[in-house]
Amino acid sequence: MATEVRTMTAGNMWKVLVQPGDAVTEGQTLFIMEVMKMEVAHESPAAGTVTAVHVAEGAEGLDADQLVVEIG
Amino acid sequence: MIEVIKPGLETSVQDWPGRIGFWNQGFPPSGPMDSWSFRLANVLVGNAPGAAGLECQYLGPTLRFDADAVIAVTGADMAPKLDGVAVPLWESVAVRAGQTLALGPAKLGTRAYIAFSGGIASEPWLGSRSTFHQAGVGGIGGSALKAGHQIPLGAGTGVAGRRVKPEARPPIHGDKRWDVEVCAGPNDDWIDAAGQERFLSADWKLSGKSNRTGFRLEGPEWTFAEKAYNKGPEHGSLPSNIIDHGYPLGAINLAGQTPIILVSDGPSMGGFINPYTVPQAAFWKLGQSRPGDIYHFRLVSVERAQAMAREMKALCTEASII
Repeated sequence: MATEVRTMTAGNMWKVLVQPGDAVTEGQTLFIMEVMKMEVAHESPAAGTVTAVHVAEGAEGLDADQLVVEIG
Repeated sequence: MIEVIKPGLETSVQDWPGRIGFWNQGFPPSGPMDSWSFRLANVLVGNAPGAAGLECQYLGPTLRFDADAVIAVTGADMAPKLDGVAVPLWESVAVRAGQTLALGPAKLGTRAYIAFSGGIASEPWLGSRSTFHQAGVGGIGGSALKAGHQIPLGAGTGVAGRRVKPEARPPIHGDKRWDVEVCAGPNDDWIDAAGQERFLSADWKLSGKSNRTGFRLEGPEWTFAEKAYNKGPEHGSLPSNIIDHGYPLGAINLAGQTPIILVSDGPSMGGFINPYTVPQAAFWKLGQSRPGDIYHFRLVSVERAQAMAREMKALCTEASII
């Protein structure tokens, strides 16, 4: 079943830690946003394989609820 | 009493105008970044405009009420829900004991405000309940909200179903460009004519490295007047260095080539020049913008900035309620 991981907040994409094809475990950090000088880590809600990454590291001005990583 | 179930990204108790009178000892006023939305939330629930409430930033909190209350949510749209039912913004709402209020990520704007009839009755410090978490003072235990915190409320007389007239609300928008008023000075004479013209015509992008201390801007290089180079050694070696002096709240502080707007939790002094100052009546625009947004600065007189503050104060009253 496909899982979508979306931005929890508006902000900038500080680090993208996975790429398509990577196997991930539940709770693994997929990407980290930067907002108010804080790092906001986004974790995988499920184990699986990354099928798509939609936002590049360094991207600025993201909105909340934007699709970043898809896990198959 | 309210129990914090989820704290949000950095939710804090604030009051307005905050901790006034201690700037000369290094304590900033703190208080809400968007005092327009904040004050209207208080007016909706029958409080004095400056009573202590919550500032929610980017991602809001989840709160459980253990007593009946009247609340209002204003500012950014974080899609608030009471036991799963949508709560209207800019309107006073009755909450029953046992209900849970949940705010999500900001969909429009950046900072939402929650006022409670009777206000938050936390312990004041130096005359204010505002949280200044870098010094560990004010609010609940001197920090942003944490899960498990208990927030005491005062006794209120709020009434549900009161709304803010649409024309009295701050025009929070999502088009990512903001026209922000500035006053010249105190150190605009350290910038050359081309640099002054460039500052007022350029697009300045808000950096992700921005918080309630400072709003960092990215834009063109600055160029300086003769006095920035030809000065006594006590000023320091960079053109933007000046002998340590007091900073105005809202100063656009130039550290080397990086301008940082010093806001509600900012420093009171230092050794960099402040070519321009954002007046407090324009702070709501800073508070409702987000990283990647573009500021365009527009010069106004000090008299105009003071008039803006008076106009905003007149809007944050019973006259704006229907």
